[in-house]
Amino acid sequence: MKLRTVLLSLLLAFAASLSFAQECSTAKDNYKIGFANLTEDIVFTQLVRESIVSAAEGLGNVEIVLADNKLDGATALSNTENFITQGVDGIIHFQTDEAFGNVIMARARNAGIPVMAIDIPMPGAVFFGADNYNAGRLAGEALGNWVNTNWDGAADAMLVLELPQSGPIPAARMQGMLDGFQDTVTTKLSDEQIYRLDSKNTQEESFRVVGDTLPSIPDATKIVAITINDGTALGTIAAAEAAGRKDQIMVVGQGADPSGQEEMVKEDSRYLGATGYFPENYGDKLLPAMIDILECRPVAPAIYQDHVFITKENLCEFYADEQAAFCKP
Amino acid sequence: MTATAPQKKRSWLKGDSITTLSLLLSFFVLCIFFATQTEFFLTSANAANLARTLAVVGICSIGMTLVLISGGVDISVGSVAALSGVLASLFWLEFSLPLGLSTFLALLCCTLVGLLNGLIITVIKINPLITTLATFSIVRGLAFVISEGQTNQLNNAAFTYIGRGSLVGLPFSLILMLVLYLGFAFVLRSSAFGRNLYAIGGSPEKARLAGINVSRHLLITYTLCAFLAGLSGIIIAAQLASSAPRAATGLEFTVITAVVLGGTSLAGGKGSLLGTLVGVIILRVLDNGLVLMEVSSFYQDVARGLVLLLAVSFDQIRLGLSRLRRGST
Repeated sequence: MKLRTVLLSLLLAFAASLSFAQECSTAKDNYKIGFANLTEDIVFTQLVRESIVSAAEGLGNVEIVLADNKLDGATALSNTENFITQGVDGIIHFQTDEAFGNVIMARARNAGIPVMAIDIPMPGAVFFGADNYNAGRLAGEALGNWVNTNWDGAADAMLVLELPQSGPIPAARMQGMLDGFQDTVTTKLSDEQIYRLDSKNTQEESFRVVGDTLPSIPDATKIVAITINDGTALGTIAAAEAAGRKDQIMVVGQGADPSGQEEMVKEDSRYLGATGYFPENYGDKLLPAMIDILECRPVAPAIYQDHVFITKENLCEFYADEQAAFCKP
Repeated sequence: MTATAPQKKRSWLKGDSITTLSLLLSFFVLCIFFATQTEFFLTSANAANLARTLAVVGICSIGMTLVLISGGVDISVGSVAALSGVLASLFWLEFSLPLGLSTFLALLCCTLVGLLNGLIITVIKINPLITTLATFSIVRGLAFVISEGQTNQLNNAAFTYIGRGSLVGLPFSLILMLVLYLGFAFVLRSSAFGRNLYAIGGSPEKARLAGINVSRHLLITYTLCAFLAGLSGIIIAAQLASSAPRAATGLEFTVITAVVLGGTSLAGGKGSLLGTLVGVIILRVLDNGLVLMEVSSFYQDVARGLVLLLAVSFDQIRLGLSRLRRGST
């Protein structure tokens, strides 16, 4: 009786696995996954790549084929074609040019290869990445709370160090910061008190435009600044310092990369903090999701990274190794 | 082409003088325009801001003026400026050398890049545009490799003094720039090296036949240009209290615009440092005024492009008139 039950179970399991294999043609024991990085010139994307390679090593059955999109849509398309030629099972794309998204996806669809898109959506790809608006809100709310506590709930002016040429994603981040601040602070800022400046994503440009703007607000002694990333935050603080108005400004940013962390932990720092994106954890979420897709398990169309607003106070919970001098007195 | 600077007897209302006078007139018109558009333009705070931020483009433009007068061009200056900051932080943070020595070594390395440019141009006889385009790419890449794409903080009061400090009420970087302008203007107008440079730019072949060692002069010119670009990079790093491999992106175009606007001919053999200085100031005032008027950054880019186009057009008109004059005599 027992033997019959075991045999029957084995038979059922075999039949189930056969039907699964028929239904899920992409399921395999080992996978080859192509990862095309946004660029290799930025610490953030280097960390994303390292996390994916490390997650693949941890899984043991995933081989990663690496490529660099070099911030260029045409290169991303060429990398897609190379991945198809190399017979990858899935593609993870981190590419900047929305216009190339349709073409890339059409090529991958024709080859029957599923695609995941990091941070910049592509039509038909599972999205993974930053929850930009909410990440922005976290920083804006923290800044609003700081103003409520330290400046009696009112600021005189706000500098918005944005990146208008890069479209809706950084715009969502900036809007989140602005909304978060306005919803939290006791006295909302009027449109006339808000100065929108193009940071061009560099420290120098932030330094220049903030330096040029400060003379136009000579009476403002409580200035808040929301910035697109740590670099622009550092440029903003440097400009205020050079103008002798460092004590009149408080800045928040996005990213919490090592240079931003270093600024936060300074004594009398004017960098309140930055929303963390934790690129070092991307791989741990991306690869299991890709395997779920390949093994035909249901996957949400958009998977968001969890964000935390990093300040001097909670920095050591997340970056104890990176800021060892500060965290281990 | 004729060399115009070394002539001894000349009416003060000819050639360079007319160019400089028309530039000064343009500068005053620009100032009056911005003063009528924004009340903050003619304020002491804005003047101090302008004075603090002239040196980066100003110092780099000295080297570019020498190179353009000699009939060449150097596209690598922005990359060299980035490399100097990155190297200073490498020597200071990684090798734990004193910051003064680190800065000196960084400048030395930049000078060697200039020497390499000069050797390739004079010994291998590769076109200066192609040569410096190649070093532009190589040096920027090296900056990324050395820094691993990271921004490094350079928190040292003596170092930041170079970019933010004041001496007798004037920004130190401005004083440094003015001293360099005086020194190099003297060299250009009163030394054999300066006069020979105009002759080489006018006609390298005639200069060689006149017994001038063309290769040696060009070698010195490109070396000086890279040294000055490196010094600009150090000032950027000192202003921002950090070094980044992306620093000084596009500096080469701003510098060429300023120099050509200042009356230095792209065809070589003509130009003056006084003109360059006024060109630098005009460009900076233009940027500053547009920011104070809260003009969209996209229009600021358009304005900068138009200025370059106007400057090159004037250069071509000047060249045409000069040919016409020569033809008629």
